[in-house]
Parts: sequence; structure tokens; C-alpha cells
Amino acid sequence: MQREEKQLEASLDALLNQVADLKNSLGSFIYKLENEYDRLTCFALLSGQLNTLNKVLKHEKTPLFRNQVIIPLVLSPDRDEDLMRQTEGRVPVFSHEVVPDHLRTKPDPEVEEQEKQLTTDAARIGADVAQKQIQSLNKMCSNLLEKISKEERESESGGLRPNKQTFNPADTNALVAAVAFGKGLSNWRPSGSSGPGQPGQPGTGTILAGASGLQQVQMAGAPSQQQPMLSGVQMAQASQPGKMPSGIKTNIKSASMHPYQR
Amino acid sequence: MEAPPVTMMPVTGGTVNMMEYLLQGSVLDHSLESLIHRLRGLCDNMEPETFLDHEMVFLLKGQQASPFVLRARRSMDRAGAPWHLRYLGQPEMGDKNRHALVRNCVDIATSENLTDFLMEMGFRMDHEFVAKGHLFRKGIMKIMVYKIFRILVPGNTDSTEALSLSYLVELSVVAPGGQDMVSDDMRNFAEQLKPLVHLEKIDPKRLM
Repeated sequence: MQREEKQLEASLDALLNQVADLKNSLGSFIYKLENEYDRLTCFALLSGQLNTLNKVLKHEKTPLFRNQVIIPLVLSPDRDEDLMRQTEGRVPVFSHEVVPDHLRTKPDPEVEEQEKQLTTDAARIGADVAQKQIQSLNKMCSNLLEKISKEERESESGGLRPNKQTFNPADTNALVAAVAFGKGLSNWRPSGSSGPGQPGQPGTGTILAGASGLQQVQMAGAPSQQQPMLSGVQMAQASQPGKMPSGIKTNIKSASMHPYQR
Repeated sequence: MEAPPVTMMPVTGGTVNMMEYLLQGSVLDHSLESLIHRLRGLCDNMEPETFLDHEMVFLLKGQQASPFVLRARRSMDRAGAPWHLRYLGQPEMGDKNRHALVRNCVDIATSENLTDFLMEMGFRMDHEFVAKGHLFRKGIMKIMVYKIFRILVPGNTDSTEALSLSYLVELSVVAPGGQDMVSDDMRNFAEQLKPLVHLEKIDPKRLM
């Protein structure tokens, strides 16, 4: 008997502690709900505490509380200071209004009815149907979770991905061509016929593989110092491959007769 | 028999054949600031150096079909700086694994009458442009970020217009030939500039 009493007391203490913790976290939860409702992060704590509570109850050393009965011994409509202090001001009077609420062991009759109905329904549909329902519920939950997490991930990376193109490969090519052989630079090139101009270009400046070794390819340009202008024509834009009509080629041939050349 | 005095011997050889290792890329104008910040962090600690150069490219047409090219460059913002004459050879084809474009390179500083001299020699100016940008160094690597301006009136460097909305980024090293470590180092450096800029070896012949 003594052992059981001791056990009872011990488990009651543990239960009290758990309940006190739970009460505190519920209190802070309510506070957060009311004031900082955009930063709710305490669900894990609450569920953890409820779980520990359940574990304590199921603990093997806990005697069956079901077998214990709480009977109010004295009911008085007077204010009880002790009770007030212990319940933090929530229960001022231990009277006949308070007792049914606080010492309740069964739910309301209507609620009890509903619960009984639910249990009979559940028993009725059979084990494997119930199992299938459980599985489909799990599957739907996991699908939903996946969708939510995917959405979150995508919106995050989408936020980072108004990926400002930091470079333009077409520009790279244009600039390299300009530096390498002056494509699109100061020489004014007629923009008339495009086709035959292209092969005309390398014709005047092809790479000689062997003999001259390291000669660099150059686009044949109109000599700008001595003969200032071809005709007043527009320059081909750097982005379009050199539109050079063959007219230039012949011009070059005649104009590049230098006195020192033979 | 004494060896003839040195001055009578023909001058053969001379310097070691220097090669220029080159990687190029470009960056759009609005991303220039981020690139400059990154380069300032990565490169040697020095005052940020800007330059404004006017480059003229001269051709000498010989009997062979391909003309000889020389590049003359002068600084427009540094008074008293010598002119710079450069010869760049054909890119060395060959090793596909080599990460940088390699070509023969001869550089020399000259006095101001370079253009007259070249004209007298028979060179004709093919094209010219103005380059304005920033210069960084890391060890032997030189990184230039510059914008190319087209010169609208030949000879007048005041009337210029930008060629494109991007800056050209060049990573170059001048070193003796055959050093593959140089191109590996360049490639590693280029990795650090991604994804802002993609520095790669661009074959100019492909862009003709």
C-alpha cells in the first residue's frame, strides 16, 4: 500500500510538472497568437510537451489513475484565498458551479454520443477498408507537402533568378572581332551587296599557312590616310558579318600601289 | 685568328621569343561595377588604374596576299608616355587542351614620330579605335577591362562613339613560349570571374 501511495505521489508530481510546463507554453502560445501572429514557431514545443505528457502517463510506474476517484469533501461558496493562490487567481471559490467543470471525468452527454457513434462507424467499415483510407490520407498529405515545398523552393530560386545577364556573347564576338581585325571600326564600308563581299574579304587577306609564318589576318581596308573616302556610304554594323562588295577589292588593288613596291 | 669585333657580326636572334597568352570575354555595362569590385579583390593591391588609349593598326601590303600588321598605341591621358608598337602573330593552333590563345608577340616603346616613320616605311593605317577602361595586375597576369570607341572622323579622337554596350575583358600574359602552366593559371583565374564574365579563348578567324 505504501509503495503504491508513493508511486501515486511520484507520478502525480511528475504529471503536475508536465502540466505546469504545458500551461506555460500554452500561455506563451496564446500571447504570440495575439501579438506576434506572423512568427509562430512554437508548435513543435507544444507537441513535444504533449508527447512527454502522454509518455509519463503511459509509464509503467504510473498507477492507473482510472482507478482513483476524486471526491470533493467540502463545498463552500466563500472565497478561498489558498485556492486562489494555488490556481493563480483563476478559481476563487470551490463551489458547486466549479466542481462539475473541474472534476469532470467524462465528456458531455452529446459529445459522448457522438464519440460512441464514431467508434461504431469505425468498427463497422472493417479493418482493410480502414487501412486503405489511412494510406490514401497519408499519400495525399505527402503529395501536398511535396507541392508546397517545391513551390517554396521555386519561388526562392526564382527570386534570385531575374538573373541579370552579365555578359552578352554576341557582344563578346563583336568586340573581339573589332580588336583583332577592326571589324566595324573607323573604316566606312559600303553596305550594299553582302554576298560576294564576304569571300572577297579573305581573298585579300588570307592566311598563308607556311611561308609567311606569323602574318596576321587583316580585313582589307580602304587606305584612309591617302585616299580619304570611298563614297559617302554607311559603315556596316559590327554585328553583321562584313558586308563588303567586291568593289572594295578592286579599289585596294589599284590604290595599294606603293612607290616602294615593285 | 681573332673573332671579329662584335659590332661587325650580323645581329641574329636577340630576345627570347615571347608569346602572348590571351583569354577574352565581355561584360555588359550594368555589371561593370560588380566586375571591378571583384577584380579589385582578386588582383594585386594597387591604385585602380584607368587608361585612355588611342590605337592605330597599320598594314604593309607586300607581294604576298597577307599584309603585315603592326599596332601603334598612344596614351591620351598620360602626357609624356612613350608610344607603344606591337606585333602580334598568328594564334598557335595545335594543342586543343591549351586553355589560352597563344600567339607570338613583340613589344617596343617608341617616340612620338612613330606614325610618320611607319608611313614612310610604306605602312598604311587600316583602322583605329579608342580604348577606355581599367587595368589590373595579378603577378604576371594583366587584366584589362575596356570599352572600344569607334572614331567617327578619321584622325579626330574627340568624336567617338561606343562600339557596343559591353566592355571587353582581356586576361593576358606575356611569357616565353611553351609554358603550359601559364595557361593553367590563367584558366584558374578565369574560373574565379564566373559567372560574371566568361573568359575563353576566342579564335579571331572564326569571327571573320
